[in-house]
Amino acid sequence: MPVPTTGHTTESLTTWLAERIALYLKRQPAEIDPDVPLAEYGLDSVAALSLCGDIEDDFDLVIEPTAAWDYPTVHALAGHLVEELAAEAAKDGGA
Amino acid sequence: MLIGTELQRAVQDGQEAPGQEARAATRVAELDRRLGDPTDDGNELSYTRLLEADEAGELSEPGERALDELGLGADFVPRAEGGRLERLDTLVRIMRQVFRRDVALGLGYGVTSFMAAVNIWTSGDAAQRACLARILTGGGKVSVAYHELAHGNDFVRNEFEARPAEGGGYLLNGAKQVINNAQRADAWVLFSRTSPAPGSRSHSVLFVERDGLDTDTWQVLPRYDTVGVRGCLLSGLRFDDTPVPASALVGEPGKGVETALRAFQITRSALPGMAVGTTDTALRTVVRFALGRQLYRKSVMDIPHARGTLSGAFVDLLTCDSLSLAATRAVHLLPEQTSVFAAATKYLVPKVLTDAMHELSIVLGARFYIRDGEHGIFQKHLRDMPVLSLGHAGSAACQATIIPQLSRLARRSWFSDEPAPAQLFQPRTDLPDLSYGRLTLASGRDGLSATLVAAVDQLPGASPEERAVQGLALQLVDELRQVQEASRALAPEDRTALARPAAFALADRYAVLLAAASAIGVRQQASHDGGDAFLADPAWLAAALHRLARRLGRRPADLPASVDARVHEEVLRRFHARTSYDLYDTPPAG
Ligand SMILES: Cc1cc2nc3c(=O)[nH]c(=O)nc-3n(C[C@H](O)[C@H](O)[C@H](O)COP(=O)(O)OP(=O)(O)OC[C@H]3O[C@@H](n4cnc5c(N)ncnc54)[C@H](O)[C@@H]3O)c2cc1C
Repeated sequence: MPVPTTGHTTESLTTWLAERIALYLKRQPAEIDPDVPLAEYGLDSVAALSLCGDIEDDFDLVIEPTAAWDYPTVHALAGHLVEELAAEAAKDGGA
Repeated sequence: MLIGTELQRAVQDGQEAPGQEARAATRVAELDRRLGDPTDDGNELSYTRLLEADEAGELSEPGERALDELGLGADFVPRAEGGRLERLDTLVRIMRQVFRRDVALGLGYGVTSFMAAVNIWTSGDAAQRACLARILTGGGKVSVAYHELAHGNDFVRNEFEARPAEGGGYLLNGAKQVINNAQRADAWVLFSRTSPAPGSRSHSVLFVERDGLDTDTWQVLPRYDTVGVRGCLLSGLRFDDTPVPASALVGEPGKGVETALRAFQITRSALPGMAVGTTDTALRTVVRFALGRQLYRKSVMDIPHARGTLSGAFVDLLTCDSLSLAATRAVHLLPEQTSVFAAATKYLVPKVLTDAMHELSIVLGARFYIRDGEHGIFQKHLRDMPVLSLGHAGSAACQATIIPQLSRLARRSWFSDEPAPAQLFQPRTDLPDLSYGRLTLASGRDGLSATLVAAVDQLPGASPEERAVQGLALQLVDELRQVQEASRALAPEDRTALARPAAFALADRYAVLLAAASAIGVRQQASHDGGDAFLADPAWLAAALHRLARRLGRRPADLPASVDARVHEEVLRRFHARTSYDLYDTPPAG
């Protein structure tokens, strides 16, 4: 089965997330270790909801508002988004 | 004799069998009749006796007995579970009868159990729901134990632990403080840490029955003494390796924060409107004083400032009730949108009600400082009222719930969403059941402000009052435009709990606009369906929008003199008829 291309990779999403989260936390993107839980940097639960809103807007993708709670690191969240984007593309392509 | 007009009205609405409205009106009258006339000193539930209980730091014993006899616990239990709860706006109306007389009784007898119960109705299994229904319909109490002194509103950091035990179940460890009814509840809803990891998936809600717990391992902590609601039994709980069965877990493990935030949408929509009854009493007390006291060879009521203050308080009550109505009905009609409405209601309604009482206290003058006698209930209500702001998420925490959603609402919803359905603003029409499953933590939709935007095109401009409403609505839409621009520009760092004060000011302005939209909706519906003549009259709405515009720092043009006259006349009419100062104009039960 062909894997639909979405233009987004784990790397590009990791970069986007680190940059966005750095803005929330007033830090440099390089300071965000992709394997450290975001809550440890002080990203609170409402900011995590807000982040999911940003993702929906920027990627035109519907995700659970709690996605950043369930995938609590940059890596985990990037991996989840790649899957969601691929599923979305497959749905559009197959329709 | 049985609340005749109310029943007639419901029957005229085309319902043969008593429908929701008839049931609601009957229940409200039942409470009023049983609790009796609070100004009658012969009544064991008079203000005088309630004040005595407060001075003694006790919940009124006759009050608790009356509510037991009324079976008030069943009003917190859905009909499907054998109780009487069907509509949230009705629950608010019923509880107003208690809050009019005594906030402590309202919280201590009832609301605490309701706040606990909602967690189980939204997320509990059949056995938990049945158990809770049995406790509440049997007159028992349930505590809601979220709070830990060390973490306050930041409850995602809470430490109270439910550690999975070997062989199943959990071991409870830690303490919960400032918990209403902790020592006398039959069960507690405990917000507990089930994983040491940071973040929002590390807590779970547990429903723990007191019976059968190993008594050597837990204790009730000393009681707290408070400034207001002095009769409430606030204490704490401490557990040391107390085993509880696996069946205590409510919903899925790790979903505690989500369960809580969902439940909050219901309780934060409903609680504030109950206190409309409290400020109603404050207003009534001051009207009585103003009519009776002579100064400068006139009554205080003839002093324009005093009179204006009383009218203003009445209008604020109508505004608060409009927002409360929209928020509670939204839980049934627009459950996807309620996260912001609930937070706005919990933020704004207690604030406006408290402000109104402070203004009223100026008219009451030195009497407001006296603890007993004819006006003594005023100072008690004034001391009790702040609990509505403090408890169950402070004002700032409610603003913090709104702030992260502002930029999305600005980009996706405002000036483009569909207006809310008409039923949102109809105080007496039927509603579908609560659908807990559709409550969501954030949606980016808002049909309520769309009602404000749509109103500008629809409002007819014939009378001076209607023109005043039109002008004010235009200013408020302009304000929404400004809030939209500022919200779009919010930097990510201003969408967290650590947002700058300017973001909090935006949440405040938005909440005021939602209140304005609600009042507009209420008046529109009243004029469409041939409903309440006073609510259909543009006078109160003009006064309400004028006050909201001033709260926003605007300087709207003076209102036509007829507005003040109409509102004042209604203040007096309801005082003499002893009907309620809210959207329902409820007569005393005969
Ligand atoms: C009469 C009464 C009865 C109570 N009954 C119960 C009960 O039955 N069960 C229960 O669990 N709890 C109960 N409580 C506790 C109550 O829930 C907490 O007191 C309340 O949630 C807030 O805690 P806090 O004031 O300590 O706030 P804190 O979180 O310590 O807040 C202090 C201040 O910090 C700021 N702040 C806090 N959070 C934010 C934010 N997100 N954004 C911006 N600023 C913020 C605000 O200025 C706030 O006022 C009761 C309290 C009272 C007074």
